[in-house]
Parts: sequence; structure tokens; C-alpha cells
Amino acid sequence: MRCCLRALAAAVALWACTTATAAVAATPAERFHEANELARAGDYPAAIALYDSLARSGRESAALDWNWAQAAAARGAQGEALWALLRARERDPADPAVAREIDRLREGANLDRAELSPDPLAAVARTGRQFHLDLVACALLLFSLAAHAILKTRGAPRIGPLVWTSLALGLAVALVSVAGALARPTGVIVRRGAPMIDAASPTADVVGTLREGEVVPVIEASGGYVRVEDSSGVRGWALAGDVRALVGPRRGQ
Amino acid sequence: MKPTRNRRPAGLAVALAAMLGVLLLVAPASRATAQGSVRSEVDARKIGMLDQVQLTLTVDGPSLPDQVPLPALGNLRVVGGPSVSTQMSFVNGQSSQSRSWTWALQPIAVGQAEIGAVRVALGSTQATAPAIAIEVVQGSIAPAQPPQRSFDPFEDIFGRRPQRHEVKLFIEAKASRTSLYVGEPLLVTYYLYTQASISGLQFDEVPQFNGFWAEDPGQPQRNAGEPATVEGVPYRRFPILVKLLYPTRSGRITIPRATLRIQVSPQSFFDAGGVVSRATQPMTIDVKPIPEEPGFSGAVGRFKTRASMDRTDLAFGDAATLRFEIEGSGNLKWVDRGPELTLGGAKVYPPQVKSDLRTGPSGISGSRTWEYVVVPQTMGNFEIPALAFSYFDPTAGHIVRTTTAPIPVHVTGGAPGAVPAPVASMPGMASRGGPLRLRTEIGPPASRVAIPGLAVAVLALVALLLHGLLWGGQRLAALRAHAPSGRAPRGARGALRDLDRVGRETMSKESAAIVIEKTLFAVFGSLDGDESERGRAVRTLLDDLHAVRYAPQLGDYSERLRALAVRAGDVVRRWA
Repeated sequence: MRCCLRALAAAVALWACTTATAAVAATPAERFHEANELARAGDYPAAIALYDSLARSGRESAALDWNWAQAAAARGAQGEALWALLRARERDPADPAVAREIDRLREGANLDRAELSPDPLAAVARTGRQFHLDLVACALLLFSLAAHAILKTRGAPRIGPLVWTSLALGLAVALVSVAGALARPTGVIVRRGAPMIDAASPTADVVGTLREGEVVPVIEASGGYVRVEDSSGVRGWALAGDVRALVGPRRGQ
Repeated sequence: MKPTRNRRPAGLAVALAAMLGVLLLVAPASRATAQGSVRSEVDARKIGMLDQVQLTLTVDGPSLPDQVPLPALGNLRVVGGPSVSTQMSFVNGQSSQSRSWTWALQPIAVGQAEIGAVRVALGSTQATAPAIAIEVVQGSIAPAQPPQRSFDPFEDIFGRRPQRHEVKLFIEAKASRTSLYVGEPLLVTYYLYTQASISGLQFDEVPQFNGFWAEDPGQPQRNAGEPATVEGVPYRRFPILVKLLYPTRSGRITIPRATLRIQVSPQSFFDAGGVVSRATQPMTIDVKPIPEEPGFSGAVGRFKTRASMDRTDLAFGDAATLRFEIEGSGNLKWVDRGPELTLGGAKVYPPQVKSDLRTGPSGISGSRTWEYVVVPQTMGNFEIPALAFSYFDPTAGHIVRTTTAPIPVHVTGGAPGAVPAPVASMPGMASRGGPLRLRTEIGPPASRVAIPGLAVAVLALVALLLHGLLWGGQRLAALRAHAPSGRAPRGARGALRDLDRVGRETMSKESAAIVIEKTLFAVFGSLDGDESERGRAVRTLLDDLHAVRYAPQLGDYSERLRALAVRAGDVVRRWA
């Protein structure tokens, strides 16, 4: 009897804790709405912090990146706005509003189109993601194998052309997908007048200035620095906080 | 005679012992020399507060280190160096080498100074140079450098005349201040102080301004100089180089020394003049950072902003020019971008930038103007919003935000149905607090995991391989089956042995038929569709075999089975 009472008490306590936790932690949609309200009220830093928190919790989406860009642009951080929009494009390349907004910000920042696309393979990779070419390639290759096996076991010569056509298509699509995977990682300069220095060291000399909003290939990383190449081909180091990665996990703000 | 004979060996032994002794004494020294040595030397053991002492560390040995540690310094600081020099020599076919590191040191206070002991690793051993004590007194006690000897035709007759005094001259780099903010101007002037007449100047080490953006405010005029007294000594002072520097980063930035080669004019009829070298002292500037704020333009100084339109009443389709001007004194050259302007009812073209800047000793002053061409796309009234500009005021120590007054614009005419211009918005500045185009649904999270490119490549290769196996395997089997002279799947000799068993061993008709059939299949494989003589013969044989195998057991089939085994043997012999 006593054991039963203890178990009941423990179950009640567990239920109470779970209910309380659920009440405190808002859903991602509610937090997104809260961030939007903060942005509308003009509290852009708080809104961006909330968007960032949502993204880090795995709820990153094109809509989140879009709103982040709007808040950053209103805050005057054009580089960060461009970065968020470019991430939104990576996530949803078919969104025409994102493409228009990128063009608008790019013109405002006096950046050339090439300065946003330093690596042509990045566009190939984006196309691959847009059309899920990796999945298409795998499906075509597996289909061709299955059809070939049927051709051999059941002797249906009519599916012969289907085998070779699907194989050729699968290989072509796989080639695009593999080429996209060879694209160099890129980042966006999010700080105005971000210095380019000659070594990954706090005592390094400044060799130039990176343009806010410019997309640069990231060659390597060391400590709190990343080695980048600007649009004129000059290579140097920049603070990791000044360069935000376009694809992959978010860097520290 | 014997004693004499006996003394010779004794003398030889003494001589050998002496040589051995000498060798024993010399050997360690030779070994030490082979390993190398280190020396620590100074050019003076007693110096004045205004003097410098030169420390030279010299390492000899077969393998020289690339670097040596600076010894611990007491009451001394490094003002130059190290300069490194390497010497090699060949004497009697033996080579030796040494490397020297030289620092210039300056005393910090009057009293005792010390250069610590130096320990240098040379191969597997370590060499040590002892510490050096130096006495520091007030003023300067460095001996005057001997002047360049001039040609004197009477010197051989009357002997050398007393040497003239050292030419008193030096150079100095003077900064207008030693502490400032990033982006503030710093005026650095290089002065020459001299008591002698100078005929030429040339920089040996050109001044370096790493960490600064250097502007040229105009070179000083070559005038007669001005009188100046330094430590009670009268000089004439000439400005020789002026630079306006803007720090580009915060922290302590050092302007290294610059060395000047100075041509001194002849001081008398028999004096040929001479060339002396002088260097400035390094300068350290303390640069304070600017507080970071979003939207900060990077401008440092004091500025005023103004916005104007060349006309505010426009016909629909006409263009107007909006001018945004920043005027004042500061690092205006750093401000390379005007405010971003987006108007809802008008198209705004990227601005043209015009600069009217003057660089003087006090900094850069003037104005910078951004001219935007605005083409209304709707009729009605709209407003050029307030344009914001922020700069850092070093006097106040904070960022100042200024805005221009909004400019109303009236557009007349226009196509029927043209809508009035909406309220202008300016993202980043004027849109603060205004409506933002925010999406209300967060959207689905990215659930699909992309397949890595490497995995796709591997899958493509595997697929190609499997296709090849499927295609090639069939072809090979077909070739093997249709080959007219191809090898039988099994050897004929083994097959004949199996067929012989049918006649010799006692077995049922089914077992015997199975043995013959298996043997034929093992030798010829499947002959379906083979219309050759061989195929027909084997099929006929198999038909007869099946007739016996599946016939009811109504009699003895041993003879028929033996006959079939013989026929099978014939077929094997003929075609296998």
C-alpha cells in the first residue's frame, strides 16, 4: 500500500513538472511571433537575438531568415541583412521575393553581382539543393539497377532502353550534385569596414578593408580568425565574427 | 756507454709523456671549440642617461642558431635591434663561422644597470655568457665620434692639428599628441636640429607608419629654420618631413625609428665636410577604440549634414536631384557610402559622390556630397525622409546622430489611374518603428538531410560497377554457351568414367538415367535453342533417356541403359 502511494506521488510530481515546463517553454511558432512583435516595436536587437535562438534550436527556415534580414536592415546592419537573405535563398532558392530583396540590398551596398557569387560551383550546389538532385540521382541509379536486374532475370528486352536511359540520366544528375559538393565554403562580411589583416594574430597588421555584404570564399579557419579572399583576389585574415558562413551551422554572433 | 744508451729511452718517455699531457690539456679545449661558444659584449660599461649602449651577442661554432634569447635587462630597455650579421672565414683550409646579434639599449634610471647572463643551446651542449654590469650616470658621457679626417696639405709638415669638435646635430620625430581615438588625426613632424651647415639629407630608413593611414599635409618650406635650445645647447631647428596620420586600429601603436643620412658642409677651407647618420627615437601612440554601434558610419570628427532637392515640384516622369552633404573636419575620406535611400513612389538611382576636401596640419576638412537622381513613378505628394548620419565626436567621447529635415515633393500629371505615392520608407534609418514586411508563419523546418556529394559519387560508381557485372556476366555466359569449340564445362575423361559406372555398378534405372543426364549436362551445359548437330544429338539422347527413366518398372532396363551410356560416351567423345 505504501509503495503504491509513493508511486502515485512520484507520478503526480512528474506530471506537475512536465506541465510547468511546457507552460514556460513557448512553441517555436510563438517565439517567432514574439520576435516579430519585437521587430515591429523597433527592438531589433532583441528580435534578432530571438531569431538567432530559434535558428540555433533547429527551427531555421526561409521565413525566419527573411524576417531576420528585415530586422537587420532596419537596424542599419546591411551586411547582416544580406547574409540572412542569402541564407534564405540557400534554404528556398525558388523564392522570388528573396531574390528581389537581395538585388535591392546589393544595389544599395554598391556591390557587383559577382561580389555575391565568388564561386560558380556555389550556384550549382544551390541548384542541386533546389531540385533535390542528390535524391533524384540516387533514385535514377537505383531504378536503373533494378530494371537491369529484371531484364536479366525475366528476359524482358523491351525495358532495355529504359535501363540505359535511366543510368545515363542518373549519372548526369549525380555529376551535377557532386560538382556542387566541391564548392568552396563562403561567408558574408557583416561588419562595416571589417579589417583584413596579414596574420591570425591580434598584433597583425591591417592590409586592407573588406566590404560589408561582400561574399568571400573561406579558405581556412584558425582560432578566432578565418582566412578569406576578397573580390580582387587578395588573401588575408579576418575576425571570425566579421564573416558569417552562408551554408552549414551558424557561427557565433 | 750503457748508461748513455739507457738514458735515451728515458728521454723519449719523458717527451711522450709531455706530449700526452699537452694533448690531454688541449683536447677539452678543442672539443669546446668544436661545440662552439657565446660572447656577450657592450661598447661601454659606464653611460649617461642620454646615451645608448650597444649589446652584441656573438656565437661561434659549426652550427649557429637562428635566434638567441635577449638576456634579462635590469634598468635598461631595448630601443633598437636586433640586427644580425654572419661572418665566415677560411684559415689554413679550416672554416669557421660566427653570428652576431646587436641591440641598442637605453638606460631607464640613474644607478646600476645589468645585462643578464645568456644561455645558448649549441647542438647537444649549452654555452653561457656571463652577466655584464653597467653604471648609469646623469647626462651624456658618450665619447664624441671622430670626425671624418679631412685633407690638410700642411699636416705632414706641421703635424696633425687638433681635431675639430663633433658636429652637433640630431633629428627628432615629434607627435602632436600621444593619445587619441581611432580615426583622429595625428600630426608627426620630423625636425633636424643642427649647429652646422647642412648640404644634403637622405632617409636611410624611411619612416614606417604601420597601423596608420598616412596623409600628406604638404611638405614644410625650406626656410632658415628657427632657433631652439635643447638641454642648454643652442641649435637651429628645421622641419624636414610632416605627416598626418589616422590610426586604423586601437591599441598601442609604435612608429619605429627613422634613420637619416646627413651631408655636413665643410666647416673650414681644409675641411672636406662629411656624412653623418642620425636616427629618431621610436614613438608609441596610445589609440583608443571607438564604441561600436550599428549603423555607425566610421566618421570621426565634427560634422554637419544637409539635404536638399534641386526642385520639389515635378511633373510625372521628370527627374530631380537629391543632394546629401556632410561638411566638417575629420576623416571624411573614410566615409565611402552615403545613406541608403529607398522611396516607395520613386526610383532612386545609385548616387554619385563628389568631394571637396583639403588636407592641412590640423586634419582633413571640407565636404562630401552624394547626389541621388530621383524619378517619381506615381503622382501626388511624397516625402524624402529624414536622412541619418552618425559620427564619433572625439571631444565629447560619444557617437552623435544627426538627421536632415524631411523634404516634401509634389508630383503633378501622370497617367490615368496612377496612384498617389505611399509614405516613403528608408530601411535602416527612417523605417525604424515603421511597418516591416515580416512573414507571419515560421514555415516548416528543414527536415530533409542532404545526401553528401561523396556518397552520391560512391553510389554512381557502385551502380556503374553493378551494371557492368550484369551486362558483362550475361555476355560471358552467352559467349561460353555458344562457343563452337569452347571447353566443356567438365572434362571428357571424367565424364566417360561416370558413364562407365552405369554398366558396371548395380543401380536402379532412375539412378542410372540421372547419372547419364547429369554427365551430359555437366559436359555440354544447357543446349536450349542450339540447333546444331551436337544439340540435336544430345537432345535425342536425353529424350530416350527420359523415356527409360520415367517408364513403368515392367522389366529389366539394364541393357537399354548400358546402350544409352555407350551412346552418351560416343557423344562425349565426339563433341566434348
